[in-house]
Amino acid sequence: MGLTTFQAADDDFNLEQMEEETEEMLRLRYLNRENAVFKKTSGGFVSLDTFGEHYDRVRVVRSFPFTDPTHYISIRVADEKSKEIGMILDIGKDVDAETKAMLEEQMNLRYFTPIITKIKDIKDEYGHAYFDVETNEGPCKFVIYMNSSSVVHLTDTRLLITDLDGNRFEIPDYSKFSAKELKKLDLFL
Amino acid sequence: MKKKKKEIQPDTSRLPKTIASVMEPYGLTEDGVVCSAPIDMNLSGEFTKGYVLLSKEKLYVLISEAIPGEMIYFKGSENLHKMSQQTAREWTVSEYDLKQVLNFTVERNVMGGVLVKIDKAPGVDYEAEGDGPKPEGEATVIAAFSNKCMGGIARMEKVGRKLQKGEEITEEDIKDKSAEAYCPTCGSMYPDADRKICPKCMNTKNIFFRILGYLKPYRGRILIMFLCYIATACLNLVWPYLNGTVLYDKVLARNEAFLQAMKLPAGKFALALGLVALAMIVTKLLTQFVGIVQGVLTAKIAPYMVKDLKNDVFRSMGSLSVGFFTSKQTGSLMTRVMYDAEEVQGLFIDGLPYFVTNVFSIIAMAIIMFKMNVLLAIVSLIGMPIVFFVSWRMLPRLWHRYGRAHRASRSMNARINDNLTGARVVKAFGQEESEMERFNKTNERVRSADLEVVKYDNAFWGIYNVAESMASLMVLTVSAYLIIVKKQIDVGFMMTFAGYVTQLTGPMDFFSHFFRWFTNTMNSAQRMFEIMDAIPEIREKEHPVHLDHVKGDVEMKNVTFGYEKNKPVLKDVSLSAEAGKMLGIVGRSGAGKTTIVNLISRLYDPWEGSVTLDGVDLRDLDFATLHGNVAMVSQETYIFRGTIAENIAYARRDASREEIVRAAVLASAHDFICKLPDGYDTLVGTGRRDLSGGERQRISIARAILCNPKILILDEATAAVDTETEMAIQKSINLLINGRTTISIAHRLSTLRDASELVVIDDGKVTERGTHDELVAQKGTYYKLKELQTKALALKGIE
Ligand SMILES: Nc1ncnc2c1ncn2[C@@H]1O[C@H](COP(=O)(O)OP(=O)(O)O)[C@@H](O)[C@H]1O
Ligand SMILES: [Mg+2]
Repeated sequence: MGLTTFQAADDDFNLEQMEEETEEMLRLRYLNRENAVFKKTSGGFVSLDTFGEHYDRVRVVRSFPFTDPTHYISIRVADEKSKEIGMILDIGKDVDAETKAMLEEQMNLRYFTPIITKIKDIKDEYGHAYFDVETNEGPCKFVIYMNSSSVVHLTDTRLLITDLDGNRFEIPDYSKFSAKELKKLDLFL
Repeated sequence: MKKKKKEIQPDTSRLPKTIASVMEPYGLTEDGVVCSAPIDMNLSGEFTKGYVLLSKEKLYVLISEAIPGEMIYFKGSENLHKMSQQTAREWTVSEYDLKQVLNFTVERNVMGGVLVKIDKAPGVDYEAEGDGPKPEGEATVIAAFSNKCMGGIARMEKVGRKLQKGEEITEEDIKDKSAEAYCPTCGSMYPDADRKICPKCMNTKNIFFRILGYLKPYRGRILIMFLCYIATACLNLVWPYLNGTVLYDKVLARNEAFLQAMKLPAGKFALALGLVALAMIVTKLLTQFVGIVQGVLTAKIAPYMVKDLKNDVFRSMGSLSVGFFTSKQTGSLMTRVMYDAEEVQGLFIDGLPYFVTNVFSIIAMAIIMFKMNVLLAIVSLIGMPIVFFVSWRMLPRLWHRYGRAHRASRSMNARINDNLTGARVVKAFGQEESEMERFNKTNERVRSADLEVVKYDNAFWGIYNVAESMASLMVLTVSAYLIIVKKQIDVGFMMTFAGYVTQLTGPMDFFSHFFRWFTNTMNSAQRMFEIMDAIPEIREKEHPVHLDHVKGDVEMKNVTFGYEKNKPVLKDVSLSAEAGKMLGIVGRSGAGKTTIVNLISRLYDPWEGSVTLDGVDLRDLDFATLHGNVAMVSQETYIFRGTIAENIAYARRDASREEIVRAAVLASAHDFICKLPDGYDTLVGTGRRDLSGGERQRISIARAILCNPKILILDEATAAVDTETEMAIQKSINLLINGRTTISIAHRLSTLRDASELVVIDDGKVTERGTHDELVAQKGTYYKLKELQTKALALKGIE
């Protein structure tokens, strides 16, 4: 694979091989139940065998985490370079149910984001907003900077809130909140 | 909150007390712990409490069982005073022997990460393995945490690696740089431990007194102003009395007792009338005079105070780093500051004195009115609480709606701006329709917000006016009743009274405005103080080192840095450029090359490690030495609003015309500048005259030449130009780099051939270093890139 030849420097340079590598970079490789075997590891990760290669542990990444979480799932090498191994076009169709569950478990961990279910209080103090909310993960208190990048409108009614440390909280549909809660949230709408 | 100031300190010991007993069976005491970090999730991703401890031999992970309904505190929300009593928890402890594990790594997720234990692969002799990547065995998740705990865990990961390699652990390694600090007054955690500003205690009261501080130098004048206001208030009280009671009931009604009281000869009512008229004229004149004194004083205080305020704000803005401006995204920051300062001045110079006068008038009038007639006084004052209540309840809502309308129109303006600046892209891709649709949506939001404002505004003033008129009407009715039916009072009396009632509405209107005025101003003041308080991340030290003679040795030692928290872009980068030599940096785009030069020109400070100039840490160096000796020609060229000449002379305002032209010639910019109709006086940066990428680049090279720096940084300086221009620029660069330390980043490797040293950066790490020949001999990445470029050129030659 690309990574190994990179370091094996003693073989003479040849242009074809390099072009091949470049082409490979441009190729979009789709993985499906015919060409890829995912297995759960005892350590809580997923391994992959595909195109004659074995990967002990892979990263499962969504290409469109907000707008299309079930398509274009990118499978990557779990190191710093995070090179793409291949893409699963539709996780509902292209792999079997067992694999789907396995990959989804990985993604749920990766994209873990508490969902705000109830707003108890929002206080705006000197450039910061103090949130006191109920989430699906339990009651949370957090603080954000009062600037437009802290509260992002993903759609007309869906909000993503980022705290001082970069932790995220989601409001899937704020129109479902009560009038009282909306009034507290009004500052950000 | 008034509480006894309890000295509560957060538990910073390496072995937190709550778990000391848990660790007892494992024989671990505080002394045995090298470093520890809290975690806040269990392995199934539920929030709970936990710790990771590191001793010299082992790594321990403690996780407690999740308590449903327990509050989870994120950064800035914790309060020392209210920290719950530690509830007894069940702890699960896992221990891992450092010797048996290959390493521990952090796998980053969107919101936090997991600590992964990587076992040694079976059957591999690690002693025999080199320094390169080693074969990995089984990977297991052993701890999970949110971004709140990321800093501590990352530190621990580093210390763990050092321990495994048997390296010495220094204080620096285990120092908790992200240690939280708490406000001593209310106990809340500071959002930024370095800034030590508690948003909760930064309340209106503090802001108010802080502004008063700005008025201190003008104490004397302000005292006179207050006296003037009180005088006005008194005169205002006298007028209705003269105009009503005295004129009608005493003089015109021929009241003998009045003449006697004034010690006037009996019957001389004409004289009395004359005197009253004179008194009235004097009152009016005095009022005018006091008004003039006030005006003059205001004119003498206000501009100075505003100047002081603005100065302070701009001074702190000037010293703020690039980071501040990008994170606050403050396009119109300057205009906002101007506006805010005026607002504050308005309240403190016009509003506050007037407020005091009005309070004084109302009280005085109320007393007089009660003395005159209790029934009438009650009737006229009864309306006041209603008016008050109406404005107090309704006004905040009105301002809230104003705020929303304002935000909506601001976002619309941003959209318009986007479309104007990106007009070419919009047209080129035929997106007018969809842009129109997007615009309509924002426009609609503005419309409905405006409509809301108008509706509420009308409702408010309607109710307010009704309440006010009702009060007047009631006074009239009751007076009429008292005059006609009861014959208790006279017409003059009624006129005096009516005069007071009209004068009452003045202060009342004022108060209804005042509340809003006050809150608005406090917001303005708050925004200004926020800027002043934003301690610049990049700051000159108290007693910085000044170097008269800079040799030009640049060194970067073990630098780790990233733009966003917990996301390092450079990892442990070390490199150096000797005085007068050239260092070339090569790497893929996104590798971190620009980041390196940003650190060398101290646009940011490294998280860890140091950057030195002639052996002095940049953080200890004064700005004059830094800015006078380091110049950058960057990938992104900044053209400021102004003439071309001003743009070239940006770093040296005192440069003569000759020097400017010479610099332009050296940068091969002279030719194109002279072809412009307005030559060096051409206004640029306004959008009126757009320069091409290459032209901009050449102007920024001229800027650097004029600056005559000891250290020149070239960040893909020729990226935006055609081959021919590139050759010309390359020539001027070759002239420029003579006798300077040059740090050059270039795509075209041939331009780096002369570099004394080259470093290859990949993923924020130095992967290769050496001279051109050495790197070619190594046959690594550099060699590959070089071959690729020569072959590509050769191919072109064949065609
Ligand atoms: N202001 C910034 N804020 C956040 N991330 C940034 C910023 N500037 C650069 N980066 C990121 O840092 C990494 C290195 O960028 P850079 O040093 O500009 O790369 P290079 O110059 O080698 O192309 C990139 O991943 C980029 O996305
Ligand atoms: Mg760059």
